[in-house]
Amino acid sequence: MNHSAISVAGPRAREIAELLVLFVGVSAVVYVIVVCALIWAIRRKRAATRFEDDDARRAADRKSRHIIGAATALSVLILITLALADFFVQRSLSAHPVDALRVVVTGHQYWWEIEYDDPAPSQRVRTANELHIPVGRPVELVLTSRDVIHSFWLPSITGKKDLIPGHTTSEVLVAEKPGVFTGQCAEFCGLQHAKMRLVMHAVSPEEYEAWRQQQLQPGRQPATDEERRGQSVFTKSSCILCHSIQGTDAAATVGPDLTHIASRTTLAAGTLPNDQSNMATWILSPHAIKPGVQMPATQLAPADLAALTRYLASLQ
Amino acid sequence: MGDKHEDSSTHRHPTRKLFEIGGRRLGLLAVAVLAALWVGGPLRAQQGAAQWPMPAGDFANTRFSALQDVTAENVSQLKVSFTFSTGFLRGHEAAPIVTSDTMYIVTPYPNVLYALALDEPGAPVRWKYEPKPRASSQGVACCDTVNRGAAYDSGRIFFNTLDNTTVAVDAKDGHELWRTGLGDIRRGETMTMAPVVVKGKVLVGNSGGEFGVRGWITALDAATGKIAWRAYSTGPDSEVLIGPDFKPFYAQDRGKDLGVSTWPRDAWKRGGGTVWGWISYDPELNLIYHGTANPGPWNPEQRPGDNKWTAGVFARNPDTGAAKWFYQFNPHDLYDYDGVNENVLMDLEIDGRMRKVFAHPDRNGYLYVIDRETGEVLSAKPFVHVNTISGIDMKSGRPTMVAEKKPVVGKVVRNICPHAAGGKDWQPSAYSPTTRYLYIPHQNMCQDQEAVPANYIAGTPYVGANVKMHAGPGGHRGVFTAWDVAAGKAAWEIRENFPVWSGALATAGGVVFYGTMEGWFKAVDARTGRELWKYKAGSGIVGQPVSYRGPDGKQYIAVLAGVGGWAGAVVSANLDTRDVSAGNGWGGVMADLPQHTQQGGTLYVFALP
Amino acid sequence: MSSRCLELLFLVSAVVLAGCQREERRFSEPPAASVAIRSVVQSDIRPGGAPPPPSPAFAYDSNAHAISQGKQLYEWFNCTGCHAFGGGAIGPPLMDDQWIYGSDPENIFATIVEGRPNGMPSFGGKIPEQQVWQLVAYVRSLSGQVRKDADTARSDHLFTRKSESSMGNTRPRPASPPPQPPP
Repeated sequence: MNHSAISVAGPRAREIAELLVLFVGVSAVVYVIVVCALIWAIRRKRAATRFEDDDARRAADRKSRHIIGAATALSVLILITLALADFFVQRSLSAHPVDALRVVVTGHQYWWEIEYDDPAPSQRVRTANELHIPVGRPVELVLTSRDVIHSFWLPSITGKKDLIPGHTTSEVLVAEKPGVFTGQCAEFCGLQHAKMRLVMHAVSPEEYEAWRQQQLQPGRQPATDEERRGQSVFTKSSCILCHSIQGTDAAATVGPDLTHIASRTTLAAGTLPNDQSNMATWILSPHAIKPGVQMPATQLAPADLAALTRYLASLQ
Repeated sequence: MGDKHEDSSTHRHPTRKLFEIGGRRLGLLAVAVLAALWVGGPLRAQQGAAQWPMPAGDFANTRFSALQDVTAENVSQLKVSFTFSTGFLRGHEAAPIVTSDTMYIVTPYPNVLYALALDEPGAPVRWKYEPKPRASSQGVACCDTVNRGAAYDSGRIFFNTLDNTTVAVDAKDGHELWRTGLGDIRRGETMTMAPVVVKGKVLVGNSGGEFGVRGWITALDAATGKIAWRAYSTGPDSEVLIGPDFKPFYAQDRGKDLGVSTWPRDAWKRGGGTVWGWISYDPELNLIYHGTANPGPWNPEQRPGDNKWTAGVFARNPDTGAAKWFYQFNPHDLYDYDGVNENVLMDLEIDGRMRKVFAHPDRNGYLYVIDRETGEVLSAKPFVHVNTISGIDMKSGRPTMVAEKKPVVGKVVRNICPHAAGGKDWQPSAYSPTTRYLYIPHQNMCQDQEAVPANYIAGTPYVGANVKMHAGPGGHRGVFTAWDVAAGKAAWEIRENFPVWSGALATAGGVVFYGTMEGWFKAVDARTGRELWKYKAGSGIVGQPVSYRGPDGKQYIAVLAGVGGWAGAVVSANLDTRDVSAGNGWGGVMADLPQHTQQGGTLYVFALP
Repeated sequence: MSSRCLELLFLVSAVVLAGCQREERRFSEPPAASVAIRSVVQSDIRPGGAPPPPSPAFAYDSNAHAISQGKQLYEWFNCTGCHAFGGGAIGPPLMDDQWIYGSDPENIFATIVEGRPNGMPSFGGKIPEQQVWQLVAYVRSLSGQVRKDADTARSDHLFTRKSESSMGNTRPRPASPPPQPPP
């Protein structure tokens, strides 16, 4: 799984991983030295307590001071080095990239609202819980939250950055190679913090553009009778109070946009694989999967539910 | 003297006949009659002015009465001639419409149309027409269940009902001629505006910018009620009726399908731009002028882009609806600054030559003078304290917005001036060609605003703003300003405790009338603003005063009292003012209104004794 | 154990148990069982003179989670658009003691689900039943009819004032009609 801070796939995560290795390495060496010195000190102590006279004692004291002084000086040097290493990595990570793709990510309990910025307002893509980015091009995320503090973390790509209500923060993503990477919320945000995950697809620039064009389309119109029934169930029951499907009257914003729900690989913020049976379970009893989530249990007749899931599965 | 529209050519025949029959006395009588009628020429011309066929008075929207019986010298003697209780208690914003012998009043919901017989003592009800609009429509009317009046044309009365029907009734006996349903209350649409009849077409527009409604203006055939054309305020050019004739003055208004591309995704389908305000008409240029309201939702972060064609003014061909030009007062509006206020047509000398212009006091607090042939902004000057806009760039026509006052989701921006109801809301101004002043009833208000994400659910409010209003600098909430249009500045102003939510009326006698929300109906000197007379009505006045010559030859001034409207909802809808955001922000600042007035619904008609 | 210890244990248990119901979160099943839905009564006059049976206690009146969820839904479903934060706008105020259609939980439930003739939309079939009960609890909290310790905290944005339900002068309508005078 591409969900590791150590097996990295981007330059930013690599810098952080290298810093991690440096810190762990230095700390490990220091630890070993200290433990050895401790053992040596314990074993040596008995022999060193007896002194012949004052001169010997003073000589021993002087020697001690030299050792302590040297060790302190070495510690300070090591700490300064580590601090400098950290400073330079932080500076590198906070640089604003040029020609970055801008994406606005808004945290909710417990899902990620994603909107791709564009100077032409009608070209802005809106989706949820899943990012698609072109390989090699930096992506600048503008992060904020609608309710409590969340934190955006794609371990293989970049470090953590908080999403704070009333503020915007920013983070940069750069993927070096194509692949699917997963991330999670890294700041406790409520009952389902642990299941607030996201998925990122790093793809070639052509694939990204194709995906973007598809996402700009309005929701696919139902083609079969069952899909039509499903759309009717969608617009007539409680779904439209929270969800939106472009091309229908559903334009609510408190829940994820579902215009292209079938093009996403997971449901419920990375919790379930996206298929019709999971979708049905999610609609009927979301609290069995994520108790405490805002999505309510929706009572539907089995035929209606089947039509609805069929319709949602058609929204590529 | 009830004759209408006789011209002098018909008088020669009776005279010749009489002489032929013989009889000197009869001949003398005929001559006397002729002389009286001839002398009565100017009077007849004034009798033509005795009608008030549409709320704005005339197509130029001057609200000016040429009658001069009531003057600045004698107005202090004005007395109540008769009153009439409508039987309803919400905001009475309508203007009484007057023909030679009948007065027509449309009440707030349930929009009863009364015809009062002016030629009988006490003006009893000749007939009434009850359209019976759907009661649920009261639940989707943002700003009190008001109606701004009917319109008379060719023996028919036209008006709108709250539940989106335009009705035509016979002006003589009130029987229904046709009714056409035009909108859907389940989408949050209502209709409150007064129609205007231009060349056999009834022009009407919808309301609902606070419900995510897509705005439109529609022309109905006056004889049949069938839709002749409809122009939307957002969406593709073909639906906005933008075609090859469209020549906007400014570059930002040129381009294909801007009504789609200046919105994210399909937000234009819920984009507002309703047409609930005033419509003017220039017969020479054959153009109508109408504004479009705010974009929806109020929260601007949900609709990046200029949001065409909201918060602006269209010039259209009344026969086809084709747009001639458009100017946007507030691109990407941030504060609910609708563009629907009146466009008062006038000819003005600018830089040595006469220009055909109109004056438009906008919600954003600026008084615009715009060339009505091309849409060029000739001048724009603030008539209230404005801190949201630092100026209008005359080259591009765009307002320069103040960055610190921009609403941001999750933040409270304080002291935004003018507030959402603007420097001036719907309440229409009047123009006197004698003084050349524009008499503007308006307010002096600011607000704190917090943008919140708006959740669209069809048929429920789609706003996205928590608002708390307060009085502007000076502490007075209302103002009545006389604006010297040519000079571009105020000549005088009268400060009022409450927003002046009534219309204004200017007369050739040099008197200007307006009403206050406490219920004072005032007459002031048109030149100096000195208060000449006032009368305390039974309830606050938010209606439009009119003047007419009655069948007995006297000049009358008529106005509806009955507090309400958006500013008066605290009383008319009995709100709880402990919540300062009640009534979309008015709750806190109008908490003292109930001490000054209660609900009411009465017509007052005044005349000299 | 000493008596001191026992007292302390008793006190702690009482506090903990009292908080149990207030903090209980019922995600899955609606509390329909906790409010016996008798027929909704909007009139005080009952021919024959017998008073109606008293309303059983509404579970969500003392459940903090339900009331706070109701507050969130109140904004999400645009109740604020017509009723503001209790003061009213297009719709009547909800924070005073004037109730057109009754203030009992089942009355408010019926108002939300059925709608009302003069403009209240019918949300039946649109808002799931449990969420309607949460809204009922919040609406009752606006006029101070819920348990004080289960009530929501004040809104700390835009309006720096006490929360709606802790304002003075709210006189909640009693759940049952006043006792009949003796014949």
